[in-house]
Amino acid sequence: MNLILFTFIVLLGFTSYYFGRKKAYTIQSTKKRLTALPQFYGYYLAIWCAIPAFIIFSLWAIFEPTIVKLLILSDYSNQGYLDDELNLLYEKSKALSRGQFTGEITPFIEASAEKYLSLRSVAQSSKVVIVLSAIIASVAYAYKRISSNSRTREPVEKFLNAVLFTASLAAILTTVGIVFSLIFQTIDFFKVIPLFDFVFGTHWYPAKAFVRDSSEALDPTMYSDTFGAVPIFAGTFFIAFIAMCVAIPIGLMSGIYLAEYASTKVRQYAKPLIEILAGIPTVVYGFFAALTVGPFLKELGTSMGLEVSAESALAAGGVMGIMIIPFISSLSDDVITSVPQSLRDGSYAMGATKSETIKRVIFPAALPGIVGSILLGVSRAIGETMIVVMASGLAANLTLNPLESTSTITAQIVVILIGDQAFGDPKTQAAFALGMSLFLVTLCLNIVALRVVKKYREKYE
Amino acid sequence: MIKIKAKDVDVFYGKKQALFNISLDIEENQVTALIGPSGCGKSTFLRCLNRMNDVIDICSVKGEILINDFNINDKSCDVVRLREKIGMVFQKPNPFPKTLYENVSYGPTIHGMAQSKQEMDEIVETSLKKAALWEEVKDRLHEPGTGLSGGQQQRLCIARAISVRPEVILMDEPCSALDPIATAQIEELIDELKKEHTIIIVTHSMAQAARVSQNTGFFHLGQLIEHGSTDKIFKNPDNKKTQDYITGRFG
Repeated sequence: MNLILFTFIVLLGFTSYYFGRKKAYTIQSTKKRLTALPQFYGYYLAIWCAIPAFIIFSLWAIFEPTIVKLLILSDYSNQGYLDDELNLLYEKSKALSRGQFTGEITPFIEASAEKYLSLRSVAQSSKVVIVLSAIIASVAYAYKRISSNSRTREPVEKFLNAVLFTASLAAILTTVGIVFSLIFQTIDFFKVIPLFDFVFGTHWYPAKAFVRDSSEALDPTMYSDTFGAVPIFAGTFFIAFIAMCVAIPIGLMSGIYLAEYASTKVRQYAKPLIEILAGIPTVVYGFFAALTVGPFLKELGTSMGLEVSAESALAAGGVMGIMIIPFISSLSDDVITSVPQSLRDGSYAMGATKSETIKRVIFPAALPGIVGSILLGVSRAIGETMIVVMASGLAANLTLNPLESTSTITAQIVVILIGDQAFGDPKTQAAFALGMSLFLVTLCLNIVALRVVKKYREKYE
Repeated sequence: MIKIKAKDVDVFYGKKQALFNISLDIEENQVTALIGPSGCGKSTFLRCLNRMNDVIDICSVKGEILINDFNINDKSCDVVRLREKIGMVFQKPNPFPKTLYENVSYGPTIHGMAQSKQEMDEIVETSLKKAALWEEVKDRLHEPGTGLSGGQQQRLCIARAISVRPEVILMDEPCSALDPIATAQIEELIDELKKEHTIIIVTHSMAQAARVSQNTGFFHLGQLIEHGSTDKIFKNPDNKKTQDYITGRFG
């Protein structure tokens, strides 16, 4: 029903566009000069069709459920039900009206369900009538108003401006919303767990918090030595470090090769091939690390007499590094290519060889951009989840041995939030605190990276 | 004395021929100007002389270019040594994004010309003095070279080119990005430099060619139409095309 109505409104929009333009042509045919191109008259009318439809639809979506609920529950208002029971009644009748109710059907609920259905159909048809009449009224009003000297271009431009602004506002508000939800949950978490314990505690064992029966009173002392984040922070940076040890040299060297040495033909094929690496889902990298690299390292280690865990930081970090190679190689290729040819010419003309030119002129000139690409790679490494969850175990060991298993912030968030969670429980809130710290770390990295890249851009523009 | 002798030089970009049969002698310690309309191949010819066309994949050069009686298109020619002897200054000033000092010391460093910091300091100072830039920058040698004005940047590039004491300096429209005052400074400098170096300058400005050069070559559509002393080319050219170009009837 809504879909048909929507399609109809879109059609109305096109029709009003057509009529607006037609009127403009009619005006033009009387040798009067228009203030804007005929299309603008059409767009103008289409906007007068879209705005009332949008407003009424939104109001309806906001108020219809509340009003229907009030009307239904008004039947029970004097029978001494509690609020919770009323809500339940309402939900039951709604479910029944959809045929999804499986419990015992009482006459009360049946009556409410019928009332619900009839109210909905009244609401629906009145919506159709109101929307259509509002549209027709507003379009007719606008149609009468447009004349040879009415301004249509400015309102259309303003409308476009507003639409684009709304789109970017939506993105910004989402970010702000996420940050705030993180902040409030994090504050709640730190009310129970002292900040000091979280930042400096060396023992992370959230499973301990599972033991608590939710009916028990919350006793902060039982969480001492449970939420010490040092091991997982250390694990995060350690695995990211291993990843960057793989990604930086290989990525950088392949970037330099692509930008400076590769012939056009090689570059044409090699670059997309390397970028395919970036398109592989991380979960695929994850089982590659867990099922191939991990066991391989374990066997290799055993044959050399080393004790290697099948889920080692080395396997996870190494595979993560491979995942990050294309980011670094592609970005550094771009910055190296954007170093002006005149600098290369200048260096060659001085008798420098290719490698000298790269080492002494191109690399320093591209360095800020390369650092930027590396920092972006680091923030990806820190935020990577799937590979760690699958390949590096979930026990938060405080270790610097790459052959043992460690865990990271992201992996621990997964551990904490898998399965049933209770809101307001320190265990769940710990995930928010971890998310918040992760957000802060990557935010700082991104800010630094963008600054560095910007500084580089200013140099040549 | 003849410093450079080009014999039957052809240049191709892929299948397209850019230069046809160029033969030109260049006198030592004089300024030779190459003039001609845009796209006539004068820059291409200039880039043959220090084999900068090697950098362009699709470019191939045929014919002999003898510098000090040695064919630089021969396989045995070491490009690094060649470019040490033949410096180049480009159309747009292209200082490296490094300090002034590092810009000038770049060549001497890669050719291992200085044994100590002191020697390097001396090379940098004399080069900057020869490029008439020393007085302006001696207090800020360790600031980035990109911070200078356009004319100063071009003189820095000249200092960079002469730091390795090249025998020949190639200049590819060195003043086209500069204002008249900076241009006058560079022209004055060219006059000074010809005492120690052979200079070949590509220019679009006929007035500039007349002012700075002793010899002139006129290129048109990839061919060397006429060459000779600047006086003769400008006052009494043999070829009708040269006459037309110089008097501004085409180009």
